[in-house]
Amino acid sequence: MSTNKQLALVIDLNVCVGCHACVTSCKEWNTSGSAGPLTDLNAYGANPSGTFFNRVQTYEAGSFPNTQTVHFPKSCLHCEEPPCVPVCPTGASYKRKEDGIVLVDYDKCIGCSYCSWACPYGARELDEERQVMTKCTLCVDRIYSETLPESERKPACVLACPTSARIFGDVHDPESEASKAISERGGYALMPEWETQPANHYLPRSIMETIDAARNDK
Amino acid sequence: MRPQFSIIFFTTLAGMAQGLLFFVALLNIEGPVLSAPFLSMLVLPVSFTLLTLSLVASFFHLGHPERAWRAAMMWRTSWLSREVIALPAVMTLTVITFFFVITGIVPALVWAALLISILALWICTAKIYQCIRFIQEWSHPSTLSNFTLLGLSSGGLLLEFLLMIWNEPGAPFGISLISGVNFLLLFLALNLKLWIWRRNQTLKPKSNLASATGIKGSNIRQTSMGFMGGSFNTREFFHHQTDRVISNIRKIILLMTYVGPMILLAFSMNSPNITQIAIALLMHYIGLLAERWMFFAEANHPQNLYYQRVS
Repeated sequence: MSTNKQLALVIDLNVCVGCHACVTSCKEWNTSGSAGPLTDLNAYGANPSGTFFNRVQTYEAGSFPNTQTVHFPKSCLHCEEPPCVPVCPTGASYKRKEDGIVLVDYDKCIGCSYCSWACPYGARELDEERQVMTKCTLCVDRIYSETLPESERKPACVLACPTSARIFGDVHDPESEASKAISERGGYALMPEWETQPANHYLPRSIMETIDAARNDK
Repeated sequence: MRPQFSIIFFTTLAGMAQGLLFFVALLNIEGPVLSAPFLSMLVLPVSFTLLTLSLVASFFHLGHPERAWRAAMMWRTSWLSREVIALPAVMTLTVITFFFVITGIVPALVWAALLISILALWICTAKIYQCIRFIQEWSHPSTLSNFTLLGLSSGGLLLEFLLMIWNEPGAPFGISLISGVNFLLLFLALNLKLWIWRRNQTLKPKSNLASATGIKGSNIRQTSMGFMGGSFNTREFFHHQTDRVISNIRKIILLMTYVGPMILLAFSMNSPNITQIAIALLMHYIGLLAERWMFFAEANHPQNLYYQRVS
């Protein structure tokens, strides 16, 4: 398993400012890319709703005065043991052997939503107009592109992030920037209790420890 | 989870047909007990109709029903795929049984095959839910027991009703005895349901905001799910009903699915009455729809942790 490539994102919660640039750039690229269109319902009405592969959420923790606000980007984690794949009755959901990306074949998907039930993270969204299951593709149509300049062969969200909070790379290669960030900065996976082994990792905020240390100093 | 009406109708209709065929196959496997006309003109056509209706209902669950045939592909890993094979298998065996009934005697092997396919379909249906390990309400053997017991009780009630409208003389057992068996099944199913509800109440969710986000610190709360107008995640995984509606539906389930039919059956153990059995069957089925609705509504999906606040 570990000899194969496993592409993933490592998200640095220290520097994410919650600007949603990754959300809009993801939507922009993927709605016109091979995974699209990502349709919107009632786009200019009171309750607009649509398909997105990436969301930025906001959380608070602690109690005054030791509080923190954490912006938390969330997309498919490309699990090494993806629970969404074996449940698919048609084989439309699959995990690529060559790079570990979990994808949906839209031509085989029957829109039964069972894979979304089998994902504890809520990473999959059924496209209301196309009636097929959609999810983050790690911009599979960008990262291997032969027409884009080398420097742009990264997921759209990574390129859009103004604070470089998103690191893209092979988490099975110990020398990659992503692997180093995980090992050196305490990268962790979400909901480890379900043993899905997410490939995407998050880097914990260290600011609170710094503030605590400063308080204890005086 | 959002209750899915296609699946509510599919599981209740197929379950009833399975229960009916199960009893008929069990009674006849050692030799003909129920008369051939009763089987060929009533029981088997009714079963087949119910199975067909359930199949039609299941298609309404799909975004692309025209690709439904693909769903039989992944039977090696997917219980849904296995179910897609098991349902037509039960239907085919029902037709085969029908042909044996009208041409003579049904071999024990055919009844046995029918029994096995019925059990297989119950297992596949229940396992679809039971195998999702992080929906703790579903991930328990009681899911299979509940589906099977309620399939048997609704099928048993239907058999009793059909025997009475046919005035079937072939049975060496009285309607009173069948009423007793159905009463017992409902009593068991009721106790199982109460046990499941108690278990659901005491479940400790394995996931929480700390494990879902990994944020260090106490008192983690969401201030924004990242959008305001709703999404697939807010529609598919919440029942969107108030606690009051839920508690009222629980009362309806207890009354309609279990207690009401049990009272009517208790009366019909002494003096069998076709109207009573018809009402019991109707009540039980309406109750079953509510029971299956609640099966979805009371399942808590861990993804809901990520979708708590709009701001």
